[in-house]
Amino acid sequence: MSEIVVAVAGQPNSGKSTLFNMLTGLRQFVANYPGVTVEKRVGRMDYKGHRFTLVDLPGTYSMTSYSLEERLARDFLLNEKPDLVLDVVDASNLERNLVLAFQLLEMKISMVVALNMMDAAASAGIKIDAKRLSTELGVKVVPTVAKKGIGKAELCEALLNTYQLGGNINDFRLDYGPQLNRSLSVLEEALACDKRALGYDLRWLAVRLMAGDEEVMKLFAG
Amino acid sequence: MTDTVRLDTLKPGDMCRLQDIKATGATGQRFMDLGLIPGVVIKVVRNAPLVDPVELIVNDNYISIRHSEARKIEVIPLCQK
Repeated sequence: MSEIVVAVAGQPNSGKSTLFNMLTGLRQFVANYPGVTVEKRVGRMDYKGHRFTLVDLPGTYSMTSYSLEERLARDFLLNEKPDLVLDVVDASNLERNLVLAFQLLEMKISMVVALNMMDAAASAGIKIDAKRLSTELGVKVVPTVAKKGIGKAELCEALLNTYQLGGNINDFRLDYGPQLNRSLSVLEEALACDKRALGYDLRWLAVRLMAGDEEVMKLFAG
Repeated sequence: MTDTVRLDTLKPGDMCRLQDIKATGATGQRFMDLGLIPGVVIKVVRNAPLVDPVELIVNDNYISIRHSEARKIEVIPLCQK
């Protein structure tokens, strides 16, 4: 039986942990991230003969390197290279939550979006075209209400499908406007010939370098 | 050129439009994460002199920040209703 590692990411209060519980039930155990006392919850679920190992990443507003939680979440994605990342999005607060979704997409990991708290969005009068969002982002988007266990089967199916597509990584590309795009292209070209950039997505590196990301700068310090 | 003021000088009930953020690094990033970006409309919910926090509504979200942080946000006051 193949084991599929899924990193579960999401902003604080997106219902990430509730959704994690919905998927894994009581099949959980708690570990620490190496060297720090930040809880790392790991859970298992089986679906259609596949074993999924889910890792609950710390809730973060973005994927920069400013806080310990963000660094841990990001390092896990970069170093452990999970098969998939499941981004839990608060549907009632889509705009703010998409910031993290964009940053995850830029890291070029196969991704599925759980459009969670659809009930809260509906009662706030918010309608979301999940299909359209899926087309725009280039990844599967599944409406869920984790609190009530709604969307579980669809989410499992989306995860399995995305995994089986294999190396078919999203072709999402954020438009930073003509000026920044030009500078990013120059940076990307320079990085393409740099051994230190190996194993990272060049566009992502370029964006992070331009943002002055200290951890990414360290890669190129020596 | 419109006159900008610092966000920490506004009173509860005041509305304004965000013009510029003078914060960088972690604070600047967090502001952006919370939706505090140029052009966004902010409503001040509470702001007492000397006492933190300053509470704002941004995109239907309630956000609380420190006075020292609000000082770094430049805004254009909007007319009162």
